[in-house]
Amino acid sequence: MPAASALHVLIVDDQQTMRSLVRNSLQQLGVREITEAADGEAGLRQVISKPVHLVISDFNMPNLDGLGLLRAIRAHPPIKTTAFIMLTGRADRELVQRAVQFGVNNYLVKPFTVAQLKEKLEAVFGPLT
Amino acid sequence: MDTFEAIKATFFQECDELLADLETKLLDLESGAADDETINAVFRAVHSVKGGAGAFGLEALVRFAHVFETLLDELRAGRKPCDELTVRTLLRASDVLADHVAAAQGTGPEVEEARSAALVAELEVLTHGEGGSPAPDEAEDDFGFQPVAFDLPSLDLPSLDLPSPDAPGAPAAGGWRIVFRPHGRMYVNANETGLLLRELGRLGPLEVELDDSAVPMLDRLQPEENELVWTIRLTAPVDEAAVREVFDFVEGDCDLRIEPIAGEGPELPPLIETPDAPADDIDISALLAKVQDEPAAAVTPAAPATSAPAAAAPAASATAPTASSPPAAAAPATIRVDLERVDRLINVVGELVIQQAMLAQRVTESGLARSSGISVGLEDLELLTREIQDSVMAIRAQPVKSVFQRMPRLVREVAEMTGKRVRLVTEGEATEVDKTVVERLAEPITHMLRNAIDHGLETPEERTAAGKPSEGTVRLAALHRSGRIVIEISDDGRGINRERVRGIAVSKGLIAEDAALTDDEIDNLIFLPGFSTADAVSDISGRGVGMDVVRRSIQSLGGRISISSNPGKGSTFTLSLPLTLAVLDGMALGAAEQTLVAPLSAIVESLTPKAEDVHYVGGHDAVIRFREAFVPLVDVARTMGFRDAPVPPGQGVAVVVETESGARAALMVDAIHGQRQVVIKSLETNYQQVEGVAAATILGDGRVALILDVDALVANARRRPAAADLKLAS
Repeated sequence: MPAASALHVLIVDDQQTMRSLVRNSLQQLGVREITEAADGEAGLRQVISKPVHLVISDFNMPNLDGLGLLRAIRAHPPIKTTAFIMLTGRADRELVQRAVQFGVNNYLVKPFTVAQLKEKLEAVFGPLT
Repeated sequence: MDTFEAIKATFFQECDELLADLETKLLDLESGAADDETINAVFRAVHSVKGGAGAFGLEALVRFAHVFETLLDELRAGRKPCDELTVRTLLRASDVLADHVAAAQGTGPEVEEARSAALVAELEVLTHGEGGSPAPDEAEDDFGFQPVAFDLPSLDLPSLDLPSPDAPGAPAAGGWRIVFRPHGRMYVNANETGLLLRELGRLGPLEVELDDSAVPMLDRLQPEENELVWTIRLTAPVDEAAVREVFDFVEGDCDLRIEPIAGEGPELPPLIETPDAPADDIDISALLAKVQDEPAAAVTPAAPATSAPAAAAPAASATAPTASSPPAAAAPATIRVDLERVDRLINVVGELVIQQAMLAQRVTESGLARSSGISVGLEDLELLTREIQDSVMAIRAQPVKSVFQRMPRLVREVAEMTGKRVRLVTEGEATEVDKTVVERLAEPITHMLRNAIDHGLETPEERTAAGKPSEGTVRLAALHRSGRIVIEISDDGRGINRERVRGIAVSKGLIAEDAALTDDEIDNLIFLPGFSTADAVSDISGRGVGMDVVRRSIQSLGGRISISSNPGKGSTFTLSLPLTLAVLDGMALGAAEQTLVAPLSAIVESLTPKAEDVHYVGGHDAVIRFREAFVPLVDVARTMGFRDAPVPPGQGVAVVVETESGARAALMVDAIHGQRQVVIKSLETNYQQVEGVAAATILGDGRVALILDVDALVANARRRPAAADLKLAS
């Protein structure tokens, strides 16, 4: 049973609002180690220089979108095991299916509640304490 | 403000940026300056607004944004053509979206349901075709998505596995303990413990213990046998298979025991140890290129990367140089700071400037030589203080873009209402000016643009008849000129009809019927209170207020406005504003033991009139002759009530000042002390408004000095009927 407080998470989204919302929800779940990046490329640089357990990333971003980030992470051996949760808008079935192909661990539909985020996290990591 | 509210505030801030970006990009689409990324950026902006709005339960906004986004998605995918009609609809949709945001924020009225619904219908027709109906959103349940736990068996990424007692072989939190006793046969087969240890070392840091207690004394030693036992502690987030793989070739030739070391605390896998690997050492661009060039099908679970041995991961990190710490990747270029904090800083810096000036004055008074260490040090301090002040002011400086970018919409709306065809050209959007000034510029610019389109531009028919292109051009430009910001609004319309302006001014009693006015003076009559050239107050530019309101709001910012017009060719309004409202370049004047400050920008000239230069109109109103005209003479000390008697004839200095409208007066004072940069202190905040005084400041000696309101003084002097518009027939 992993402790949420030990979880290192990187939030990647081009909107400060969304990053703050995710951060705020994660903090409510007890996650303390949270970093942020404003686009896929910045996120990739960050996750390479400072690996994390989990990347929560938006899909639609400039520079490198969420799928690109996911693929880059899976293609780079030192970090390819990083868990990845994709943030999506409603009804992005096609996107989710592509993300599955590339090895996404889970997805989270915006807008989300803290409970939904917890559920998605636990589906990946098991019950969080 | 709780966290949620704070995030919401961030959202609205971001909305403003997104909406501005949206409009810019749509205008690019309209003008054909768009590329493939443009429509994506447009989509992203609307998508982000919707995403945030959803989080805050802003239903109306979400609903509208959703329909908007759906069409954009079609356009983005190339399923629908992005033609002129579509772009125009998108532009109107962006206007309504902005209204929805304003309504949600509480800064605008509720959006009329009919208007919103009409656009929704238009968007839907463009999305689904006439009579088509939107497909219902897929429910989330329909995705059939199975979340992938951290141990992705389907992906064959063994080292993803979480440690758990039920999952033997998974990476152990504390690493592995390996007990290794080679048989003699291993050495016969030319294997070597050292090589194995080196191989193992590639997985992670090792602690190796050699147990030689079983080695017999020399006389009993069997040279072909081995009794050495190695106990190795490997700290690495690798699974058992990776460890076992190292010993692949010696299997059967050794006793090997591999057991996980229980970690303390978190059961998460330890983070991959690459803290010293600078991100720049890994070729990000190559990685990105690889990711972006690869056909989508290539990176499937069956891709080579995933079938590579897990040992590759630590190996790669081990080859990374362990040099300097990684450079901060993509440091944020901007931070958001509460405006209050900046203002507090500006206030304190203002105090610092005053304190510095006081100190300098004390030092001068103490009679220290200019070359003394204190004086020299003080000079350096003055330079530093100026620099700090400039830097702090620069924090508040904002490009006028935020105001300019609201204008295309206004122009569209006014053009639509008046049936005119208008092209708006903006220049110098990056010109920076104090935030307060920027904010207060919106209204006068709005008003003047309305005027330019409504009054200035002709109808397309009239323009064609006059041999002009049917589309009128309105230009909005910002530039810096001699320490001030200048905003120019020009049109290529009909120009000012001077006959008519003059007629109206006469009929409204604003000027005498026989007043001799230059063209410029006639043009500037439109700024007089109560002047409105529109025969009927139109809905667009009229709104019951005239250009005098514009002038007043510009003046309240310490600015000036003027117009120049060329009949048949168009008109240009020029606004000139100070860059900041906090500091003023002034001239210190002495009047009856008081020091007063006149804004430098208003001063035309100073002279010392002889007694015979002063003339009296009606026996008491003094005027002096200045450049072929008489200007009223204002005795400042007397007007301000400092003393009853005027400056005796033949003494004192007359400072000729000019208002925005070009009206002049001569301020009679005892002496001119020199030019100063002063920090403006509001009189209203600290005392109350005083006629003829714009604000106050604190001088180097600590005394308060009043800053003269030149416009009020001049207007007051010129109100005296005898002094009005005296002009020499030269």
